[in-house]
Amino acid sequence: MNIEIATYLIYLSISIALTIWVAHTLHKNGRIFLVDVFHGNEALADSVNHLLVVGFYLINLGWVCLMLKLGYAVASAQEGIEALSVKVGTVLMVLGGMHFFNLFIFSRMRRRATMRTAPPVYPDAFTPVQEV
Amino acid sequence: MAPLTILYDPACGLCRRVHGWLADQPKFFELNLLPIKSDAARRRFPKLNHDLTAEDLTVITNKGAVYFGPKAWLMVLWALPRYREWSYRLASPELLPTTKRVVSLVSQNRLQISRAAGW
Repeated sequence: MNIEIATYLIYLSISIALTIWVAHTLHKNGRIFLVDVFHGNEALADSVNHLLVVGFYLINLGWVCLMLKLGYAVASAQEGIEALSVKVGTVLMVLGGMHFFNLFIFSRMRRRATMRTAPPVYPDAFTPVQEV
Repeated sequence: MAPLTILYDPACGLCRRVHGWLADQPKFFELNLLPIKSDAARRRFPKLNHDLTAEDLTVITNKGAVYFGPKAWLMVLWALPRYREWSYRLASPELLPTTKRVVSLVSQNRLQISRAAGW
């Protein structure tokens, strides 16, 4: 096995493991949030949570696949580790971006769920009301 | 008694159309629609300037808070589940001036609009 193949395999295992870990974290901790958003409707919360995690997996694994190709020959172990570092670093940045995007979606849903009830404008005047 | 009373002009076709549209909408609470300057309106709001209600739509809460013109239209939207979000959006500081201009324009020309539309 040459250094390139080894680099690719290590890259894939690290990236996939990281994706699974982040998705798992999102799934576990996002659930409580969603249950609150949907006023205790756990079935709906689980469903939305699952759909979000599926989207997260698809985008991240797709990105990992697209990023696989190195484009140049790796001569030594040192170059292999450097290439690996750049690749894994990029994947981490994308994972981080996706994670914050998910948090943003969660908070948006929560804001929508806790919809305001006060009138949108202040009254122009007050008048006595005669109950009839 | 209904939380919101809407005083509308029965002489204007556009207002009658809105009246009919409102009847079909789902509502958060009951809306009490009274024709302007009617005996019922005068009885319920004895101290109100009823001549002013002829100029634009007026909405009054059961606590006596009076909303006039564009604000009254926003209150009507606010009473409807489908449009409550829009009432907040249109009442935001960025959009409120535009909302007021558009609503005033429509209100001032309501009789012409009604005639043109054949209501």
